[in-house]
Amino acid sequence: MSGLIEKDLRLTLTRKQTLLIFLIMAFFMGASIDGAFIVSYLTMLGTIIAIGTITYDEYDNGYAFLMTLPFDRKTYVKEKYLFSLLMATASWIFGMIVYVIFSIIRHDPMFMDNTLELLVMLTGMIPVVYLCSTFMIPLQLKYGSERSRTVLFIIYGIIAVIAIGARSLLNGVDNPFAGLDLALNSIPPYVILITLFVICAILTYVSYLISVRIMEKKEF
Amino acid sequence: MLNVEKIVKNYGDFRLDVSFEIPDGTVTGIVGKNGAGKSTTIKLILGLIRPDEGHVYINGKEASQLSGKDKQELGVALSESGFSSYLCIKDIIVILRKMYPDFDEKFFTDNCNIQKLPFDKKIKEFSTGMRAKLRVLVAISHKAKLLIMDEPTAGLDVEARNDILDLLRKYLADNEDCSILLTSHISSDLEGLCDDVYLLNDGKIILHEDTDTILSNYGVIKVDEEMYEKLDKTLILSSRKDHYGYQCFTNDRKFYAENYPGIVIENGSIDDLILMMTGGK
Repeated sequence: MSGLIEKDLRLTLTRKQTLLIFLIMAFFMGASIDGAFIVSYLTMLGTIIAIGTITYDEYDNGYAFLMTLPFDRKTYVKEKYLFSLLMATASWIFGMIVYVIFSIIRHDPMFMDNTLELLVMLTGMIPVVYLCSTFMIPLQLKYGSERSRTVLFIIYGIIAVIAIGARSLLNGVDNPFAGLDLALNSIPPYVILITLFVICAILTYVSYLISVRIMEKKEF
Repeated sequence: MLNVEKIVKNYGDFRLDVSFEIPDGTVTGIVGKNGAGKSTTIKLILGLIRPDEGHVYINGKEASQLSGKDKQELGVALSESGFSSYLCIKDIIVILRKMYPDFDEKFFTDNCNIQKLPFDKKIKEFSTGMRAKLRVLVAISHKAKLLIMDEPTAGLDVEARNDILDLLRKYLADNEDCSILLTSHISSDLEGLCDDVYLLNDGKIILHEDTDTILSNYGVIKVDEEMYEKLDKTLILSSRKDHYGYQCFTNDRKFYAENYPGIVIENGSIDDLILMMTGGK
């Protein structure tokens, strides 16, 4: 497992220039955009970069040799989920540092007045963004980097259609979710945070089982 | 060490159907033309593809069920696949160190230096020969008990081929109980290395013989049409017509040398074996 993480880390670092540009962009975003956008942006970026290592693995028929190295297919899948989590967490920490520093410099009242609540809320960004991995990893393993992108666009399209459709249907009717919204607001933030982590853990486990099945069936 | 029991794999019209065994400390070659099924056999052994029928056992364990620890005993070099070409040797050293407890870093770095492989250059900038040398070095750097090499010398010039064969010979000398399975269509490479050879044609093994026997007993008889008619063909494995008469492949050239004085007989080679057994009439 540690060898695989080392490989993915080194593959990620081969894109030093791209990473540097992203970090500079993040720095300027932190300086110019109010709010915590920078945290979600960087966490998302870290996750996408981590999943991108699957593309490197499959490039140039690389899987065949990779699967002769001393680990089984289950370990390979496990490592992808773990590496995504590590990258998401590391990017989140970096994003938080940038966000906190600029908020203090700017004397952001939103940050100053609700520091603890904001930090708890922003911690929730990790499971929310990580959910992206639970979709992307099995898709990428099943369809490869090119086709999985198309499948993902289709899924996003369907979600958008459903969302817009639901919105137009509910237009003019009393919003049935208004009560839910109110109820959610009354729940303490740490309960929401724990719930998010639990949901994320369950979905990740289901996604992991699907990914293992895909990998076990795969021929190289 | 390796036991291939009646494995069958179908790809459309192509059907691979082979059985063989590689005992401990043996170097075995699989030869055959392009498309004969050599790479498919290797992939089945490594569990990269699943057989439709049959089993592959490595040290008594089903190949597809090998654990990470079991795989540490394998050293693999594939013809068209290796570490990501975006990595450099410096990266690979760290990865191998973490993957194989028996990784011999000094052996690996020394040999990379001897073969003039740059440590900081990305593999995608390597020449074909450099990539092939690196693949073999990776396979032999962690004291593997079974080396599996698919066309390790394909597409290389004579010098690079010799370098790779020398690496393998040295590995064998240092690790006597190690077994090697390698495929090639450049059979002269195998003559100085393999104890026995399997000839694969159209997905089937059509001949299995010790290399020494091929080199000492097999031969190509060259005769005109008249002599061909008179020739006792009981020990002729295959024959083909050419511009000057007939070429006949025999597994007992001494018999013909003794019984047909003056007849032209050339010593047999694995190249002749492939040519005559898979292309003859």
